[in-house]
Amino acid sequence: MSVKALLLLALVSATARAEGQFDLSVDMRLIASDGPTSYLYGGLGKLRFDEEHDGLQVGRLRAAWSQSLGETLNVHVDASLWHPGDDNAFDLTEAYLEYRPYPAGGWRSRVKIGAFYAPISLEHRAAGWTNPYLISSSAINTWVGEELRTIGAEYSLEWLGTRSGHDFDAGVVAGIYGYNDPAGILVASRGWALHDRQTTLFGEVGEAGNGPVPGRVLFKEIDSRPGYYVGAQLRYLDRAELRFMHYDNRADPEEFDPGINDFAWLTYFDSIGLRVETAGGWTFISQWLRGETIVEPESGYEKWEYSSTFALLSKAIGPHRISVRADWFDTDHFETSYPPGDKESGNAWTAGYSYERSDHWSFAVEALQIKSDVSMRAMLGEPTHATEQQLQFQVRYSR
Amino acid sequence: MLAVVCWTAGAGAAALLVNVAKPDGTPLRGAVVMLHGPAGFASKAPATYVVDQVDQVFKPDLMVIPVGSTVTFPNSDKVSHQVYSFSPARRFQLPLYRGTPYAPTKFENAGIVTLGCNIHDDMIAYLIVTDAAWFGRTGPDGSWSASELPAGQFRVEVWHPRLREKTPNIEQSLILDASQSDKLNVKLTRTLRPEPLGRKPRSWSDY
Repeated sequence: MSVKALLLLALVSATARAEGQFDLSVDMRLIASDGPTSYLYGGLGKLRFDEEHDGLQVGRLRAAWSQSLGETLNVHVDASLWHPGDDNAFDLTEAYLEYRPYPAGGWRSRVKIGAFYAPISLEHRAAGWTNPYLISSSAINTWVGEELRTIGAEYSLEWLGTRSGHDFDAGVVAGIYGYNDPAGILVASRGWALHDRQTTLFGEVGEAGNGPVPGRVLFKEIDSRPGYYVGAQLRYLDRAELRFMHYDNRADPEEFDPGINDFAWLTYFDSIGLRVETAGGWTFISQWLRGETIVEPESGYEKWEYSSTFALLSKAIGPHRISVRADWFDTDHFETSYPPGDKESGNAWTAGYSYERSDHWSFAVEALQIKSDVSMRAMLGEPTHATEQQLQFQVRYSR
Repeated sequence: MLAVVCWTAGAGAAALLVNVAKPDGTPLRGAVVMLHGPAGFASKAPATYVVDQVDQVFKPDLMVIPVGSTVTFPNSDKVSHQVYSFSPARRFQLPLYRGTPYAPTKFENAGIVTLGCNIHDDMIAYLIVTDAAWFGRTGPDGSWSASELPAGQFRVEVWHPRLREKTPNIEQSLILDASQSDKLNVKLTRTLRPEPLGRKPRSWSDY
């Protein structure tokens, strides 16, 4: 059965019964950006909204269903529109079936089947894999939203220590998936980026045939080899959470899919994240990710190393929240048939304020500055160093 | 996790004042105090109690109930809940529901029952099931008292959801004086766990 058919089945199941939960949100932005042409429009710009695409824009239109199927099964379907001009503009970001049995003796298992996010980000805590701290995600989790999706199955086992008089909960997670062979192309061909756009399951990234990031299908099985991830987490009460993950899509980098004009990118990385919260409303999140992506066309072997770190500090005062985040990122290209190729190195500062006026209305403003040296910019006749700045104002209505 | 102390009260009707203090000496509010009487004194009569679920919070979040009591768990929220306990004193689960579709649950063994919701991990509550003849919770001044007590040997248990004490470690100064008010000072030696941060915003999920 194809992925599309499975997803349709999930959709039908979700809508078959009336008492499920239905979420709808409309997120509109007013944007001022001085960014060069965005990767979405054929450039190497790291922002979602560039100089040519600012002003009043759709941030995100989202619709989601959650539906219990019997006692311990739940279906969740999440669909979004990021830009009215996209192909498959309104498309799925996640669709899965979750099995959530009762804890037994302090242990709890969960199984997810479908398309969903692996537990990598500690920023994305709100429905629809939304970042409640800042509008734009860190470089690391922007990439997670762009290129990674578990299209397969995940099993997690948690020891609920805090439910039996202990200070800690601990858990392990493992996933097996397909359809993630193109993952790596964006971080290789463009480098890191910072924004909030998530790639939809049947969507593309970039304009077809245009620029360094031509329209790319990111969720495709090319080599019939499943990938995996394994992770662990440790929680101290409700105050701190530490996560580790090793991810490997096990792609065969010699495999080429003429249908999407792309190789299978062998992509693997390690990620460690920590989130600490205090009674005074402070949140600190830091994450580190380092990995490699490899393709082996007949002309030789090409490898990119990529790494990024961020630290975020946020303070909530009632419905108000102020957050600031610093990101650092690097990519480095190695190839056997040529001298070492392109590199990038950069950092970003993001600062924002948000106001949750009610369960329905929220407002946010965010300033983002990315400074980077990208050798590939020379190919486009641009200076290798660029400073990209963006100011966003967001109004969101949810129900 | 139970702090236990034994002493002998004098003959005649007595009263007892229990003061519970944190390691820094400040009073501990909301500590559960259970006073087990001399042999022959029955535990409190079982009764029927209610733990509601309102705005994804158990209300109340802690209740002391006599052994043999029953508790109903209505769900006053619009969303469904799935109540469970895997505590040895009482394992049970109430399949996904809204309203009050289930008969009351009976608690026949003494012990601490931790309640959770399998859908909303933030939800937590405690039922302290006890065969003590006298029990209560300390007030803002950290004290709890009982009067009209018989003469004989008593046992006091102190518990709090944020307690970290592993062994009985009560510091006490008790004057054994028949027909008089006695006083027991319980001072914790280990700091309490920090208070829970409270319910997350409604739109938050787990990822």
